[in-house]
Amino acid sequence: MIDVVFLLLIYFMVATEFKTAEESFPMDLPLRDYRQTIQLDSEPLVIFVESAGDKKSDLRIRLDGPWDTVSSIEELVLFLQSNKAGRFGASGLFTETHPILIRPTKETRWGHTIAAYNAAVRAKYVNITLDEPS
Amino acid sequence: MARRGNPSSAINANMTPMIDVTFLLIVFFVVVSQIVDRDAVSMDLPAPSQAVAGIPDNQSGVVVNIVPLEHGDVAGIVVAGHTIAWDSMHELSDIVETRLRGGATEVHLRADRTTKYLYVHQVIEAIRAAGLNPRLQLVIEGEQP
Repeated sequence: MIDVVFLLLIYFMVATEFKTAEESFPMDLPLRDYRQTIQLDSEPLVIFVESAGDKKSDLRIRLDGPWDTVSSIEELVLFLQSNKAGRFGASGLFTETHPILIRPTKETRWGHTIAAYNAAVRAKYVNITLDEPS
Repeated sequence: MARRGNPSSAINANMTPMIDVTFLLIVFFVVVSQIVDRDAVSMDLPAPSQAVAGIPDNQSGVVVNIVPLEHGDVAGIVVAGHTIAWDSMHELSDIVETRLRGGATEVHLRADRTTKYLYVHQVIEAIRAAGLNPRLQLVIEGEQP
């Protein structure tokens, strides 16, 4: 009997694969009605994301508007945090619900897109949307 | 000099503790092997630094996997045990809609970190076309303990 028990043990040890830990960002998917034109309360902040290579740091970020150049994810987080109303004094331009539009190119890697999305979440914005590829 | 005791009795190791431990190990592996998520296709999920994400609720969601190929291209989509070819995107909308009507409230989108956004966006639009305003969960790699 002990032989069979050992065989079972080896089988389960080999067959078991542990599930890796996963997390997720929630995003609402409202239905689009192209017959209606939605008037936004404020102009969204558009963040262009482009991949220049495979590595985490190989992404190019550009902000649409008269903003300083942002060259990394950390700088993007700092920019979003420092321009947030109610934080760092009264100089904030964007409220927490200000629409943030992340616009990757067709070739942008998903990892880089998610990195930009995470930057906006880290800065505690709640109205973040992934736009059509540019 | 004569040996004491009964010469016919052999010395046996006590196997009971080892069998106990072995049974415990078997029970452990039997239990653990049940929690493997069979909906998830193996891939390198995005792992942004200092991620501020939540833990997805796998019970209430339908998992949509974008199966990666090399150079950011995709082989197809795996959802709820069905493999869908890339040019049959309407099937994805149908399956997601069926699952949402069956009680699911969320759609978990799993894509490889190298997959081009062009493909991910098409899948998001197909999920949106299923209607019923589901909540999309963009799945990333969790922090390693």
